[in-house]
Parts: sequence; C-alpha cells; structure tokens
Amino acid sequence: MESNKKYWKGIEELQKTPDFVGSNKNEFAESLPIEEVLSDAGLSSVTPRRDFLKALGFGLGAVTLAACQPTPVHKSIPYLVKPEEIVPGIPNYYASSHNGQSILVKTREGRPIKIEGNPNGIFGNHGTAPNTQASVLDLYDVSKLKGPKLNQSNTSWKALDAFVQGELNKVQASGKKLRIVSSSISSPSTKAVIADFIAQFPAAKLVQVDPVSYTGIIKANENSFGKAGLPRYRFDNADVIVSFGADFLGTWIASQEFTRQYVSNRNGASLKNKKMSRHIQFETGMSLTGTNADSRIPVKPSEEGVAILALYSAITGIALAGVSLSENVIADKAIKLAAKELLNAKGRALVVSGSNDVSVQTIVNAINSFLGSYGSTIDLDNPVTLYSGNDSEFAEFISEMNRGEVGAVFFLNSNPAYEYFSNKLFVDGLNKVSLKVSFADREDETAALCNVIAPNHNYLESWGDESVISGLYTIVQPTINPVHDTRQAEQSLLTWSANSVQDYYQYVKNNWERNILPGAGKTWKQLLQTGFVYSGEMPSASYAFNQSITAVVQTVVNQSKAVAKDVEVQLYQNAAILDGKHANNAFLQELPDPVSKVTWDNFAAIAPKYAEKIGVTEFDLVEIKGANGYTVTLPVLFQPGQAQGTISIAVGYGRTKVGKAGDGVGKNAYPFASMVNGTLQFNTSATITKTGGSYELAQTQTHHSYEGRNIIRETTFNSYLKDPHSGSGNHGTEHKTYDLWNERPITGHNWVMAIDLNACTGCGSCIVACNVENNIPVVGREEVLKRREMHWLRIDRYYSFNEGSESYTEEKEISELEDLDNVSVVHQPMLCQHCEHAPCETVCPVLATVHSSDGLNHMAYNRCVGTRYCANNCPYKVRRFNWFNYWNDSRFDNYMNNEFTQLVLNPDVTVRSRGVMEKCSMCIQRIQAGKLEAKMEKRTLKDGDIKMACQQACSAGAIIFGDMNDPESEVSKALGNERTYYVLEELNVQPGIGYQVKVRNTVEA
Amino acid sequence: MRSISLFFRSVVQSLVIICFFGINTLMAQDATEGAALFQKNCKSCHALDRKMTGPALKGVNERREEAWLLKWIKNAPAMIASGDPTAVQLYNENNKMLMTPMPMLTEGNILSILAYIKTEGEKPLAAAATSSAAGAAAVTSSDGGINTYMIIGLIAVILIALFIILALNRVIATLEKLLIDGPDAELELLEVQTESSGLSNFNHLVKNKKFIFFTIILSVIFLSAVGLKGMWNTGVHQGYQPVQPIKFSHQLHAGLNQINCQYCHSGAFKSKNASIPSLNVCMNCHNYVQATEKYNGEISPEIQKIYTALDYDPKTSQYGANQRPVEWIRIHNLPDLAYFNHSQHVSVAGIECQKCHGPIETMAEVYQYSPLTMKWCINCHKETEVNHKDNAYYDDLIAAHEKLKKGDKITASLLGGIECGKCHY
Repeated sequence: MESNKKYWKGIEELQKTPDFVGSNKNEFAESLPIEEVLSDAGLSSVTPRRDFLKALGFGLGAVTLAACQPTPVHKSIPYLVKPEEIVPGIPNYYASSHNGQSILVKTREGRPIKIEGNPNGIFGNHGTAPNTQASVLDLYDVSKLKGPKLNQSNTSWKALDAFVQGELNKVQASGKKLRIVSSSISSPSTKAVIADFIAQFPAAKLVQVDPVSYTGIIKANENSFGKAGLPRYRFDNADVIVSFGADFLGTWIASQEFTRQYVSNRNGASLKNKKMSRHIQFETGMSLTGTNADSRIPVKPSEEGVAILALYSAITGIALAGVSLSENVIADKAIKLAAKELLNAKGRALVVSGSNDVSVQTIVNAINSFLGSYGSTIDLDNPVTLYSGNDSEFAEFISEMNRGEVGAVFFLNSNPAYEYFSNKLFVDGLNKVSLKVSFADREDETAALCNVIAPNHNYLESWGDESVISGLYTIVQPTINPVHDTRQAEQSLLTWSANSVQDYYQYVKNNWERNILPGAGKTWKQLLQTGFVYSGEMPSASYAFNQSITAVVQTVVNQSKAVAKDVEVQLYQNAAILDGKHANNAFLQELPDPVSKVTWDNFAAIAPKYAEKIGVTEFDLVEIKGANGYTVTLPVLFQPGQAQGTISIAVGYGRTKVGKAGDGVGKNAYPFASMVNGTLQFNTSATITKTGGSYELAQTQTHHSYEGRNIIRETTFNSYLKDPHSGSGNHGTEHKTYDLWNERPITGHNWVMAIDLNACTGCGSCIVACNVENNIPVVGREEVLKRREMHWLRIDRYYSFNEGSESYTEEKEISELEDLDNVSVVHQPMLCQHCEHAPCETVCPVLATVHSSDGLNHMAYNRCVGTRYCANNCPYKVRRFNWFNYWNDSRFDNYMNNEFTQLVLNPDVTVRSRGVMEKCSMCIQRIQAGKLEAKMEKRTLKDGDIKMACQQACSAGAIIFGDMNDPESEVSKALGNERTYYVLEELNVQPGIGYQVKVRNTVEA
Repeated sequence: MRSISLFFRSVVQSLVIICFFGINTLMAQDATEGAALFQKNCKSCHALDRKMTGPALKGVNERREEAWLLKWIKNAPAMIASGDPTAVQLYNENNKMLMTPMPMLTEGNILSILAYIKTEGEKPLAAAATSSAAGAAAVTSSDGGINTYMIIGLIAVILIALFIILALNRVIATLEKLLIDGPDAELELLEVQTESSGLSNFNHLVKNKKFIFFTIILSVIFLSAVGLKGMWNTGVHQGYQPVQPIKFSHQLHAGLNQINCQYCHSGAFKSKNASIPSLNVCMNCHNYVQATEKYNGEISPEIQKIYTALDYDPKTSQYGANQRPVEWIRIHNLPDLAYFNHSQHVSVAGIECQKCHGPIETMAEVYQYSPLTMKWCINCHKETEVNHKDNAYYDDLIAAHEKLKKGDKITASLLGGIECGKCHY
C-alpha cells in the first residue's frame, strides 16, 4: 500500500509561489550569470568579438608559455629525527575526549584532521555531535590569538606572569575577593587545580555559569529529593515519552547519548521485536525533537507551565485551582490523552521539560514520581555533570563586582559580555575590578574588556580529563604541539598560585595515579591507549516525591500569567551553533539548521497564519521589542508548526568578536532573557513591528526539486504490525524494467548503503563529518543564496499534513486541520545513490563519470570539463558544481584558502578545482584503505572493516554501509528488511542506497 | 719399489710443506679473520683511534686481561648485572649504553678480533691517510656525456645535409644550364662563377626557388616534429635529474654496499609514501662511517652536511639545538589528482622497486626513469598479473572471476584496476 500523503519541502512548494515555480522550470536551478552577459548592453556593445579574439589569443599564448615551463621544483623535506610512531602517509589515532565523550583523533604527519567517536566508548556510543565533528577546525582557527596580551598589547608569558602575580599579591593584601568565572567544569583535574588555587588565595571562589542553564532542574531535584544534580535520563527504558519543550535529540543536556537511547526503541531491531516507543512533544517553536515526535502539539511559552500542571492533575486526579488550558483546546485534549498513555505505561514512562524554572521542574518531578520513573527512566544516583552552572551565584557575583568587592576575576571558557542578558550590569561591574584575566583563545567580547589575556590551548593541544557521568573518566591528551604561543589555562593557574607541581601534565598524571587509576586497575599508559576508565554505574534507586505542591502551583500559574501577552518570544539553541561558543566555525555556520534549513543566520520564526494576521510576509524585517526593552531587527521565517502568537529566535548568533567567519552573523538574542526567581528564563513577552525592507535568508531546502515525485514513504506503527510491508510498497513485486544495457553482474564487492528513516533524527552530524572527511568547501551565505552550496550529503526535511486515511483518527479531533500548525516531518539524508543505471553517466560527453565494477559511480575530476549535464540529469539532485577555486580565492575566506586552516584538509582526498563537478564518492578513500589493509594482512575483508564518515558520525546508527555480495553483512540484512524501498525506483536507475520506511507510532481508534 | 718410496717421500714432503704453510697462513689469518669479524660486529660502535658509541679500542689488549675480555665481549650486560667493578665503571663512563651481547662469537673468533686490534693498533697512523685522495677524484663524474654527443652528432648531420643540398643544388643548376643553353653555356658559367663573390653566391641561392622550397619543407617538418614532441610530453619529466643538496649516491649505497631499499625507504612497505629517510636513519651508519680515509682524515664533506643539518658533534655524539632540515628536490612528481600507494605495489603486488624507478642501484645521481604518465600506469595494470597467491583477500574475487574468464590470466585491470575512481578521488 503506497502512501498517498502529500509531502512538501517548504511553504513555497506547498503554495507554489512564482519564484519557486520559476526556478524549478529552469534548466539549471542555480542562478547563472548568463543574463548579465547576454543582456542588451552586453550584446549591443562593439567589443565582444574582439574581446573574444583577444582572450583567445592570450589564452593560447598563456598555454604555450605554461607548457614551456621546466619541471616545477617540489621540495621534499623529511624529518630530521623522525618520531618513532609516525610513518608519513599512515594516520595515527589518539584517544581523547570532547564534551565528556570518548573520541579518537585522527592525525596525519602530526596534524589532527578528523574526530571519530571511540567505538568502545560508554557515553554517546560511537556517534558524535555536529560540533564535535567540526571542532577540529577550531584548532587551526586564524582568528585565535597568537600569543598572550597585556593591556591590549602583545607580551611574553614571563612578563604576563610577573604582572599577574604582582597584581594577585596586591589584591590579596587589599582583602578584596577573587573570582574564577567558568562554564561548567567536568574535569576532576581542573577542579583540583582551582581548589589548589583557592587554597593559595582563600578569598577566591569558583563561579560556574552556563549561557544555557539547567539550574532549574538541579535545584528542583535538590528541593524534591535532596539530590542536587542533573539526573541521567534513560530514554531507552521509556515506552512513552512526553516532552515539554525539551529538545533532547538536538540540544538538551547530552543529545547524542539521548539520540542513541531514543532510537534504540524505534529502529529496525526494535520494530522487529514489535516494539516502538511513543513520543508526544508539547513545544512552541518546531525543534529537532519536535520533528521526530509521533504527536506534536504547539503551545505558547506561557501555556507550557500550565500544561504541565494540567498533566499533573490529569494523572493524579487532583484538581488544581486556577489551572486551565481553556485557551488551547487542542493542547487540553492532548494532555488528557497523554495522561492516559503515561498511566498505562507506568514505570516505563518519562516526562521531561526544557524549562529552567524550579517550580515547573518540581511539578515534573512530582509527575515522574507518580509514574514510577525514578529508578527506571530517571537515574538520580548517577548524575550527569555536564552542566552545573548556578544562575543565582553568577547574579550574586555581578552584584559583588558592582559593589566594588571584587579585586580580581578570571574568565575560563566563559564570555558573559556576550552571553549574559544584561551587558550593562556586567560591564559596569567589571570596570570596578582591577585585575581582569581572560583565558579565551581569542579576543572575544569579554576578553576585549580584560587587561590580561592568557590564551588557552585548544582541547586538541591540551592535557586534561573529564567526567560527565559518575564512574566514567575520560582523558584529554594533546595530539599536536601548540599551533600558536598559547598556554593551557590550568598551567597558568598552577604558575600563578606557585603550586608545588608546576607542570600540568604531571599534575593530571598524579591526580589519575592517585585517585582514579588504582580503582580501575589500569596504568597510565593503558589509559592513554583506551582513553577512558569506567567503573560501572551505581545502582539506581527509586525516589518518591512527597511534598506539598500548593505553593509551587501558584508560582507557576503566576509566572505564566506574567508572560502571557499577545506576542511571546521563545529563545532556543539550534543543533549547529548551540550557545554560540563556536560561532566562528565555518562548518557549523554552513550546516543548515535541521528544521528551518537556514544557514548563516538566525531569524524570527513565526507561524504563517499568525504572520498573515499581523500582516508580514516571509523575509520581511521586523523589530522585536522584549519586555526588558531590548530591541532587535530580524527577518521573518514562516515556520509551520510554530505556536500561534509566538516568535522563536535562536541564541548563539550576533557575535561581534569571535572572528572572521562568525562576526556579524545574525543577531544576539541572549538579552531577551531574564532572571526570574533565581533562574535564567528564556522567554519573554514582546511586541513586534514591521520595519519595512526585507532580507532573504539562505535556506537550502528547496534548492533541489523532485517535481513533486513521491520519495518519502511512511507508515504507522499499527499498520506496520499488521503488515510489515505497509508503506514500503515492497511486496516482492518488482517494477517492470527495461534495460538499455547488457546485464552485468557485479562479481567482487558490491558496495551499498541502507538508511533507516525511522532512526535518522536529522541532526546533521553526518553532514559535518562528510565535509571534514572529503575536503568540502564552505561557500558562505551569498553563494548558498545562489544555490551553490557544496555539501555532498544533505538532509531533506519534508512536511506533511496530518490528514488522510493514514493519519490519526482519535487525534483527528485534535488536528482537525489542514492548516500549517499541525504538520509532521520526515528527515531524509540524500546523497549520491550510486545507481547501477546511472543517468549521469550516459550524458557525460567526456566519460568523466563512469561505473565501477564494485557498484560505485566514480567521478574523475581531472577528466570533467564542467558541462553540468550530469547534474541536470540526476534525478536525486546530488551533484555539486565548483563555481570557484575555493582553496585559492580570497572571496571565500572560510577555511580552505588559508595556510593554517588548510592543515585540516584530508591529504587522501583531492581538493577540487573550479569548473569541476563533484558528489559523494562513497568515501572511496576509506574503501581503498580498508581493502589495502586486508590485502596487506592477507585476509578477507570483514563486514564493518570499512565505515563511511557519515555512518561513523551517526549516533542513531541510521546509516549502514557494506558489501551486498556478502549475504551475512549487516547491510544485506538491512536491505532485505520489509521496510526497504528505493527512492524513485520506478525510474529503474537501480540505486545502490535503500531507505527504510518511516514509522510513526500514532494512536488510532 | 724405488718409485714407490720416492712417491711416498714426495707425499710426505708435500704434506710437511702444506702443513707448514697452513700453520703460517693460520697465524696470519688470525688478523685477517679478526678484521672481517671486526667489520661485521664491532665497527658500528667502536673505532680503534677514537671514541664512538663505545670507547676507542687501541691498546685494549694491554688495558684488560684476556679472560675478562672474552667474558665481556660474549655477554657484557650480564657482567654489568653481576656487578663486576670494571664493567660497571665502563658502563657508567659510556653514557650507560649497554654493549650488545655477542653469543655467536666463539672464543677463537674473539681472539682473532683481539689479534686484529693488536696488529692494527701497532701500525703507524700515517698509512691510512696516504691512501685515497685519488680514489675520491676517480669517483667524480663521467656521466652526462651521451646527451652532448647526441646533440653534436645531430648538428653534424644537419650540417652535412645542408652541404649536400648545396652541392646538389649546384649540380642541378649546372645541369639545367647545360640542358637549356647547350654546351656553350658551360664556359660562360665558369666565367661567371670565377667572378662571383661570396655575397652574390648567397643572393643567387636565395633566389633559387627549389632551394627555398627544400628549406621550408625541411624546417616545417623539423619544427612540427619538435612541436609535437614538446606538446605531447608536456608535464612529462622523464629523465629529470635535479641537483640535490647532498650528493647522495644510490650506486654506492644500494649498488656497491647492497643496502636494502627498504632500510631507508621504510614507508614503501606499509604506507602510501616510500618516504625519504629522516636523518636519524642516515646516522645509524654515518655516526661511524665518515669516509675519513678518502679525505685525509677529515670527515667527508657530504657526510658533514648530515652533521650540519642535525647540528651533530662527532666528538660528543650529541645532536645540537641548531638543526636545519635538508631540502631535497622531489624527482617523482605525480599530480595531486592521482592517488598512488607504495605499499599496495610493493607489499601486496610484490613489485620490484626497479620496475618503476629503473636501475636505481647504478645511479650516482637519481633521475626519473619512467614517464609516470597515465598510459604507462594503465599499460602495466593491463599486463601485470595479480599477485593473489597465498592472499586470502583475493580468494573470493578470483573464484568469482574464474567463472567468467576460464584460463585467462587475472590482471589488475580485470579486478577493476583501471577504473577511474581507483586512483582519482
């Protein structure tokens, strides 16, 4: 049974806007400069023919001269004394960790070029987050400081040390306070260094603060159970998940670990066992998690707290005064439905909330306690220590500064001048401090206000450790000598506090050998090889919530009333830029936001219906004024599924001092935040006014059109249980095929791929991994607008209405709509399908793209003359044309054309030149390397020896690569699955990549 | 009978003589055998007259007792471990470097080495120095001649051709005159000729249409041949032989001394790069091989370049801080768009280095032997049989192919070795 559901990539496609139709009808979708050349002026001028001849003559001469050139001299400089472990041409892998996740750093000739998840890792499984993948570029960032700075001028470390120590002594003598302001520290050794520092300077104190705070949860847990900390959520144990605005698959706490857990209940293996979790999401703006939910109900920020109260009362049966969702009928009904389902799954249910409000989180605790989640889906005994920032402590620090009590302040990985909502309060206070030290690696917004900048190493240059869940300790080890004259912050603190151990490496080693290694029974050397020690988790006990919630309920109701206005603003993080710390990373800026597919900008997301009401159209510039008077002008983006009367704005943009790539990208939304009851709140009421003028956002989604063909297939869980073939149309009946070519069996390997649409969450980690692995240029906003982005792998996001026979019945009441509020989303990774009958191959006039004997579609760049016929003839629109020499063009100053950032390039992959077509090569360099390894070891190639970059980065395990000719391979089994279908299989191009139908666990009558 | 006794006598005599000579040579052999053994086992760490990794050995026979020496040379680490005072002292004096134990040497062997050290140590120093300036001179170049000879020859051929053309022209002109004007003209012609100067001769030639036609035809042919060859070989640098910063001779190292290629180019086994050896590999030998005998006791200037680059002090055996890398000129340049992996060819396919790099062991200066064009790669891939014996990786592939191609040889191209993406990605 094939779905008759209609899918659309964006509102322009749904409404068939003239622009969209026009560009679709064009032979080449991207704008071509032909018009300029062939314009009236161009044709009527007298010179074109002469110019042509001149150019021809010059070209001929130049070519002749170039041909006369003698052999170009290439210098070859070997090591003087070669380090024993390095063999030029062979990568070395070092175990390290990033954000607490165990990783492997691939280095070539001493320079890190790729991050891979540690396959044996405990936390986050083998996949990696987009920012982990991109972090290797930060190492070579040219916007970083080249050395220490004292009073805005360059200095030496010796002079800096003398100055800081002198000042520290003065501050201590004066009796003023010292403050170390840091984002959450999860490193035991860093904590120990700071403790030693505080022992030396007793007036010092550590203040931890995170731009996106989790103080609410931590405090609520302290109040409810006496356990201050972020619990370890276990989505893998949950059959029913209800989330109120928590984007746990994209940005919330440990999204990659959550993705793994969440997908383990929804992937092929789980479906085989006839098991699939149910996920209901209540949220304001469409988040990555919301796009994956089985049911998604838009609620305003002001309704979120009330909705949670309503759920509490529906579950416990206790009526709460003043709690009513009467204004949102749909949500009201959905809450009742959710309550029923949660109660049915008691003990295997989980309710989470993204709110940072203590009262709201307390209610959530009460609900979870009632559902018996503690000890099952929530583990309070093995807390996650990724975030331990305390909002009120930081607020107290600011008032201390303003009272003139602070004599010295150190900023470690913290940038309050940008991240804190009240810039004025912070700057005024900071001006009263005499010694201001920043450990920032660049002269960022806060560092620019400091008199001392002691630039910290990148994590790839550092020694260190992390412990983000109890029992797991990961090591950070350097993989390269420091690129610039920087010094690790911990080293600086050791120096300034005259610690007895002066070398931070020795300090870390001592700390491990004393405190961690003996318990684990490992030696330091073993640790450096494995990257982590894990002593197992504590038994997770059950906790019961038994406090009165009357006061809490009142607070929630009052706060909701305070925010409830005509227009409500919700701040969120997107999966690429997150809190904006790595805004100068060009890979992340060009990674399309998973939901809106916008690159290089933030925007005001508004529901289309609401926009109509207030009279704005897409890309109109609007002025948004928050309750605290902060005003920002942003372009409007129509976001289906956005709650009516709300605006969502991403934080992390609008940085002014982060570097070339990130400066001036988007607008800063942090100042909209406010402190309410000691925690940072990311929503506010606002007013919105049209300013006139418009600003087009660089969106990638509708760049590649399928002319409305049916490429997404989905089914519901119930239909799947009745008939596993439902939705895929895969009943063993093949399409009638007519072959133009003789049949040619693939005898050796047959490389294919399987992608599970039900596992893919659309986070975009694979895109970044592909970019780093394959030297894919970053083109910048202007070029993305011209549809010239170079990503080999893209994730298409399709909307569909919840309607038709395949859709909800009971919930149909909830969603009796054909409006844009209630849409469901499917993410589909799209890359070269390596078709057996590839349409691109037959149209290439120079045979630059041909088929291989192992089922791949090869692309020989040096043969390509750039006719772009292949791109035109590709039904999947996965071929990319190089419009410029991105590696040698100052206009694209993103990473490739710079001698530092060039160091990140993979030496095994050609850097393509202008005028050449490129596309996914199925990481052929990895296939070749894997085969060679097997040949050298004289063994057969095992399944899993070769992993694609995208596959490796996927925490959800949605991508499987392997040999179809090996019946035992994982990919053969996956493609043999009933859910498998091939995109556009009716064209008989015989793609090498099979997709598995998306299954939605919707409730039917 | 007499004859028999005579025979016996002669036999006994000869036996006696043989024995006598035998013993004599045996005694002489002590030192020569010792010399060989010394070269093989000791020289990498010891010299007679100066300290290297180990101490100078001159006079060691006097310094130490023979029994101690025998024990020490057999297994030095054991002696140090046993706490022998002299052994420990030696160990401490020499940067705590352990002397390699030599269990393969018999007592006789060791005595021969000691004999060698004794005789050699007694020789005056001068002898070594006198040999060899000549030798060094003789090594210098005898190469590069062929090219110039060829060019000279070519010019000569062209000159001769021109001369012949001129002569032919002359003959034709005369014949023409004779045929057209009859025999009378001959005299006239001779007169004109005797009168004519060189310049008028040239003018005459320039006006001659046939000569001009010939010249133009010849030059067109010549120029197009040169042009075609030039264009065809654009980017092909076969024979490229740049001057290297160190006059390293593969003839000496790989040819004469028979050092295995992969001793220095160790990457060829396991990596895509064969890699130019780092200087610490050179120093494995050149901390004692200094070719002083060829340079009047001085260190060879080329070896000195290694020392300079490493800032190495031969007296202290220490690398200094002022190191400067050696900038070799790359000879074999594949374009960036082509991926080549040495280990695939050397380790998996088992191809000799010489197949692509030519008679490297005879090259005093390395040049590019192969054209390194794609045609050259492809041809080899089409012809070369895959080295699939005893390699389990190929089992399935070969089995699958033999179904298709019964009896044909399995070449690299048959297994997809000439597909674009195998080298271009």
